[in-house]
Amino acid sequence: MGLLTILKKMKQKEKEVRLLMLGLDNAGKTTILKKFNGEDIDTISPTLGFNIKTLEHRGFKLNVWDVGGQRSLRSYWRNYFESTDGLIWVVDSADRMRIQDCKQELHSLLLEERLAGSTLLVFANKQDLPGSLSSEDIKKMLDLDNIKSHHWRILPCSAVTGEHLLEGIDWTIDDIASRIFTMD
Amino acid sequence: MADLGDDANMSLEERHAFMTERLQQRNDIRKSEIQRKKEDKEAPKREKCEHFHESLNREIEEIERELALSSSRTKEELIDHFDGITVRLQKSQKFLSESTLFLPSYDISRANDSLTKLQNILQEKRSEFLPKKKFAFKSRKGTDDGKDKKSKKVESGDMDLSTVDLADCKIINEVNKKLSMQPEEINQKDVALAELKSCVVKLYGAPSAIHINKLEDCQIFCGPVSGSIFIRECANCVFVLSCQQLRIHTTKFTNFYIHVTSKAIIEDTSEVKFAPYNWSYPLIEEHYKLSGLEKKRNNWSDVDDFNWLAADEHSPNWSILGLKERILMWDV
Repeated sequence: MGLLTILKKMKQKEKEVRLLMLGLDNAGKTTILKKFNGEDIDTISPTLGFNIKTLEHRGFKLNVWDVGGQRSLRSYWRNYFESTDGLIWVVDSADRMRIQDCKQELHSLLLEERLAGSTLLVFANKQDLPGSLSSEDIKKMLDLDNIKSHHWRILPCSAVTGEHLLEGIDWTIDDIASRIFTMD
Repeated sequence: MADLGDDANMSLEERHAFMTERLQQRNDIRKSEIQRKKEDKEAPKREKCEHFHESLNREIEEIERELALSSSRTKEELIDHFDGITVRLQKSQKFLSESTLFLPSYDISRANDSLTKLQNILQEKRSEFLPKKKFAFKSRKGTDDGKDKKSKKVESGDMDLSTVDLADCKIINEVNKKLSMQPEEINQKDVALAELKSCVVKLYGAPSAIHINKLEDCQIFCGPVSGSIFIRECANCVFVLSCQQLRIHTTKFTNFYIHVTSKAIIEDTSEVKFAPYNWSYPLIEEHYKLSGLEKKRNNWSDVDDFNWLAADEHSPNWSILGLKERILMWDV
């Protein structure tokens, strides 16, 4: 039995998945996390530091790390890279002025060795705002088609209405599972 | 038999002493044996080290001497001369790497240093006496230049993309104007304000979100915003805002009259002051209901500074606007 097989078996036993949620400030990371967990989203303050939530979903134990996106916090992101199974990149679809910032941060993140091989889900958040960019626009602006290093998918969503949140998480879990766990 | 007799005659104590002595002797012999073997092993190692240093230093000296002679060679000889030195240097390098097995790491790095130094001197001398043909230089430079230009072009193209197509609900690039937007334009929409100078902007409505970028000497008023307001790169402004989240970045010398139901934050910002929201217009109550903002909850004086994490000391970047400094009545 190889080392990989042993690791796979260990992971399978626990069915534990580590998700790291990143993105620029004001993207809606914490709101997505709280909405997904069925909590109140009206009182969320900008994240100074990080939030961790452990959720049970479809028999998986999801450890979701939501790290603040302020510029002054971004240099700390790398402290959370270790053993990440899935990366959730959240975009404020109405923030047209910073979409280039957003692209740069994402692409520099994907060069990170410790995130190599992790599943990438891009949430084009805030679709409830009428002036928001479509996920198709964001896919182009973030140059997602050029990402060959990760399995990725982009989904339009709204943390306020909850639209497509579940679908996104489900896809992420499926993709990770097909990689790590031997499906039952 | 005598031995046996002696043995038998010895007391228990004597026998014990005899036995300990014998054990001690054996132990001493064993130890000296180990010591001898150890010395045997080390001796060649030491010899090897000395040998290495001697031959390397000799080689280095010779190479240096050769290099010094470069100037006396004719042009035809120079190529062979330098090639010869290069080969010698490579041999020394090989000699060093073969000797790394027994050399202490300090010696390895020192030898490495002196060889690199020689290599550099050789390079210098070679380019001094045998300059590379000009076209080789030029072509390389040319391609680099081309690359630079290309990347710059791409960058400027990107810039256009980000600034040009802002959302529908926006006010951009105005100077010295009084502007306003009505509820039917902005209710539950996202609004962008950018690059304004000396303007007064009044937003009579309840937008979902506002993005504000690069304002100078402006006064901005807004009804209740159900989501977040995001402010960047403003200076000498007055903001009168009501929202769920307020993020202020890279802003200076600005006063905020705010109603925030969560917590305002500042980053890379200084000289900003805060007071409670005090703007009103006829439809504001209705707009509060529309936005879902809780009117009673206002954390205007609770500001997080992301550049000031010390909890026991107040951030020097923001303060509360004194009662006497506050403007109490605004034009509707």
